[in-house]
Amino acid sequence: MKKQDISRSIEKVDSREKISGAAAFTSDIKLDGMHYAKSVRSPIPRGRIKQVNLPSLPKGYVVVDHRDIPGENVVKMIHDDWPVFPKTEVAYIGEPILLVVGPDKEKVAELADAVEIEFEELEPTFGFTNSAIDLHYDKGDPDRAFETAARTVSYEYETGYQDQAYIEPQGFVGYLDEGTYTLVGSIQCPYYVKNAVLATMAADEDDVRVIQAPVGGAFGGKEEFPSLTATQLAVALRKVQKPIKFIYEREEDMIATTKRHPSKVRMEAALDENNNIQGLRAHVGLDGGAYLGLSGVVLSRGMLAATNAYTIDNVWVDGDVYVTNTVPNGAFRGFGAPQMIFAIEMFIHHVAKEVGEDTYTFRTRHQVSQGDLTSTGGVYRDPIILDEMSKKAEEISDYHRKRKEYEDPDTFKGIGMSWFLHGCGFTGSGEQEKIKARVKLKKDADGTVRILVAAVDMGQGPKTTFRKLVADVLDLPLEQVLFPYPDTRYVPDSGPTVASRTMMVVGGLLARAAKDLKESWREGEVQEAMQRYKQPDYIEWDQDRMKGDAYPAYSWGVNVVEVEVSKVTYEVDIKHVWSVYDLGKAIDERIVLGQADGGQAQGVVGLGYLEVMEHEGGALKQKNLTDYIIPTAVDMPKTENHIMDNPYPLGPYGAKGVGELTLVGGPPAVALAIEQAIGRRVRKAPVTPEYIMELIHNG
Amino acid sequence: MRHIIPKTYREALEHLKSGSLHILAGGTDLMVQNRAWSETPVAFKKDTLYVYNLEELRYIEREGDMLHVGALASYDMLERHPDTPSALKRCIALLASPGLRRVATLAGNIGNASPAADGVLVLYALDARVVLDSADATREIPIEEAITGPGRTAFEDGEMIREIRIPLEDFDSERFKKVGGRKADAISKVSFLGAAAFDGDVIKDLRLALGAVNTTVVRRREIEAQYQGLTAADLKARSQEIREAYAPYVRPIDDQRSTATYRRQVALNLIEDYIHSL
Ligand SMILES: Cc1cc2nc3c(=O)[nH]c(=O)nc-3n(C[C@H](O)[C@H](O)[C@H](O)COP(=O)(O)OP(=O)(O)OC[C@H]3O[C@@H](n4cnc5c(N)ncnc54)[C@H](O)[C@@H]3O)c2cc1C
Repeated sequence: MKKQDISRSIEKVDSREKISGAAAFTSDIKLDGMHYAKSVRSPIPRGRIKQVNLPSLPKGYVVVDHRDIPGENVVKMIHDDWPVFPKTEVAYIGEPILLVVGPDKEKVAELADAVEIEFEELEPTFGFTNSAIDLHYDKGDPDRAFETAARTVSYEYETGYQDQAYIEPQGFVGYLDEGTYTLVGSIQCPYYVKNAVLATMAADEDDVRVIQAPVGGAFGGKEEFPSLTATQLAVALRKVQKPIKFIYEREEDMIATTKRHPSKVRMEAALDENNNIQGLRAHVGLDGGAYLGLSGVVLSRGMLAATNAYTIDNVWVDGDVYVTNTVPNGAFRGFGAPQMIFAIEMFIHHVAKEVGEDTYTFRTRHQVSQGDLTSTGGVYRDPIILDEMSKKAEEISDYHRKRKEYEDPDTFKGIGMSWFLHGCGFTGSGEQEKIKARVKLKKDADGTVRILVAAVDMGQGPKTTFRKLVADVLDLPLEQVLFPYPDTRYVPDSGPTVASRTMMVVGGLLARAAKDLKESWREGEVQEAMQRYKQPDYIEWDQDRMKGDAYPAYSWGVNVVEVEVSKVTYEVDIKHVWSVYDLGKAIDERIVLGQADGGQAQGVVGLGYLEVMEHEGGALKQKNLTDYIIPTAVDMPKTENHIMDNPYPLGPYGAKGVGELTLVGGPPAVALAIEQAIGRRVRKAPVTPEYIMELIHNG
Repeated sequence: MRHIIPKTYREALEHLKSGSLHILAGGTDLMVQNRAWSETPVAFKKDTLYVYNLEELRYIEREGDMLHVGALASYDMLERHPDTPSALKRCIALLASPGLRRVATLAGNIGNASPAADGVLVLYALDARVVLDSADATREIPIEEAITGPGRTAFEDGEMIREIRIPLEDFDSERFKKVGGRKADAISKVSFLGAAAFDGDVIKDLRLALGAVNTTVVRRREIEAQYQGLTAADLKARSQEIREAYAPYVRPIDDQRSTATYRRQVALNLIEDYIHSL
């Protein structure tokens, strides 16, 4: 019997429970004797805590703060600057200082309101001045490229905050189970949470157990932030010794949790006498907010995308994370790449325009090919089909004809195209040295196979695709392969659910484990199959100098966006988005298309046009979903997506990364379309009606 | 905090005598403004009179050239009713979301008195009047007098809206434009209603109203009157002058939704563009 192509879609296994409301999210959990925790937050951007005046606490109500921490008062991530509970100083508006915990919610709220904290206010820092992390890499001889340049062109680009705006806010329910801190929550990375709690509680490995509840969206927002709420909750559990529910309200979530980093990117190109870019300099600035968190890694991913889908021989890239007294910024789908890709895609066009060349020809001339060196001197080893992809994109969107037609300024219409790549998996040797992913398959005597990994389904589909993958390798019906919600008591650390690594890396290991299991299959016996990540031999990465192969593989994409701008209101009607993706191989086509639609909603429409978030003196102005505008169904343009097969030899069935790819190239595509429609150079995303008006009136 | 659920309108008015109460109709403003931690009661700051189940006030009736809209008629009812003026229907189609339109009311839109209220904008343009009852008296006032500022109304303690009266008139041209942060379910950054009736080629009635650009809806009858009697062509020729006539009244603010500069520019563009469309 010939097997069906793995890409053929099946019904998502959790659709019915999600649509019917049967799925029990964290807030649906109710336990006997459950208490509630509420944060008391800093009203000022920076200050010293002089005194905390507590209301008199009725029996059964407690306050939990830094004095209750048995271990380190640090949210364990990469740096040690982020306290679980601040002791002497607060660093942003909304920073949680202490918790009030008790059995009755109304009373807890009343007590939390009655806590008075006296501060000595300190001068806050904002903007791109106070660098805490700076990174650098270069390639070739950039100095010479600039010295010998026939001309240079430079531009600066900016992008704003973006909130993940997941439907379900951050939250955990925690309880002590025979002394074990058990935390059930809305998370992306069970082992990040576990490791953070271990450090804060100075606990032993077995004393902490983290279980993933169904997750109502995450987009990176539940990568590092839950480590803060989980550690606070564990400290509270130790003191209260009762089950506790700790869930953020929407406004708390919006003012206090990590966002996409606002960016400022300066680009400079050195051109030779034939208008080829012989050198590129870039400086990437990210507003990190109050604490570093993952900002350094976000910066590095951004910087690595500096040359995007172009080959430039001489490159100099610097980057800084600036610490400010604002909400800490962190992981968000794309992880620094959207900011950088916006800058380079706009820049390539602006350089072409500056030298009077057709933008398409100019780009094509600089396009990467297989065998070229990456921005950090690694090698693009696998076949690159960007040519075929851009041809396809042109064809389905009628790009060239429209591009010409819309040159007439009276049309107020425009069409824009972006090309982009996304590195799959952790940067550099991260997979090998930091994550060391392990996966396990467990077969029961009755032949049921369970997938034991820490990868989380947050809506993006692994609950379906992992089962499909393992069942396909094992030649079993889907029903015989189960994927229970990850629970650190049973699952090995297969790494966090981030970096578009889930299918390519974790799925890859699962496919190999399934193959082993198949080969050793013994009917009626309990069996296990384990796999551990091994970096491909050819990968060489020097982290300090940022040199070598930053990623084992790249996914590629082309977005074309067509718009019409209103002359009266400057509103943009985003009419159509055409996309072509090379993600190796789709393990389930409909799930990939879901990622594409969502990525375009967040990238083209959200980050590119609609979503505005700003702060004033450290206070976010858009702090609920009335004021923070995300696209609705009617804001979505028509979409047409094409998925190309270009199997990656080390991915399962050839699969590479999907999740972030569909977002990262959206903003420049819509910005370039708007640029054409209004005949002005766009240097900022989102390209709001307010900004469009400014450009039209002031040039 | 008391929660009062009257069985009849009469009873509601009696309760209102006792002092200042929140009147809750659809609750789509009140509940949001008094929101509290999930799973805890709404944080009302005053005793609350729940009028949403007073069937007596849930009506839409036409009497000659007047539409009587009971205080509890929902937007959804208005949208479906054959006599609802088309300008109001255009507005309702873009107001909030289908779910909200099932419960929210025009009376609540007036009571909330937001400068960005879309329903109120249309009521200004259509010369609507508001009927207020108290236990012992009734009065009818024009919409401009009912709303006195952002979040402020001319209602006395003890009074509530019984109905809204909308004169039914025919216009040859009508345009409602809501400029929100997105295409649906967003609060207006600027809103506009233009309507005109012609006698042959001559303008006999011109109405222009702007929302979210001042403390209350901007409608200037004296400016409208100046242009009555002109032909459409004359009017178009003077579009720039009309735009400038409105400029002093367009005094928006910067806030989390937009900028004063944008609102001002767009409001005036909308006026000019509408005049050109006539
Ligand atoms: C998600 C969302 C989207 C929205 N979108 C829009 C929009 O696009 N455009 C827009 O204009 N509004 C919008 N609103 C606001 C709101 O829906 C409207 O203002 C609506 O008309 C309020 O009606 P209600 O019956 O729900 O009022 P309620 O909340 O019940 O009351 C509002 C105010 O009016 C008073 N009131 C109510 N009835 C009476 C009465 N009979 N006599 C005297 N006072 C009374 C109340 O005391 C209160 O002060 C939105 C709200 C939400 C939550």
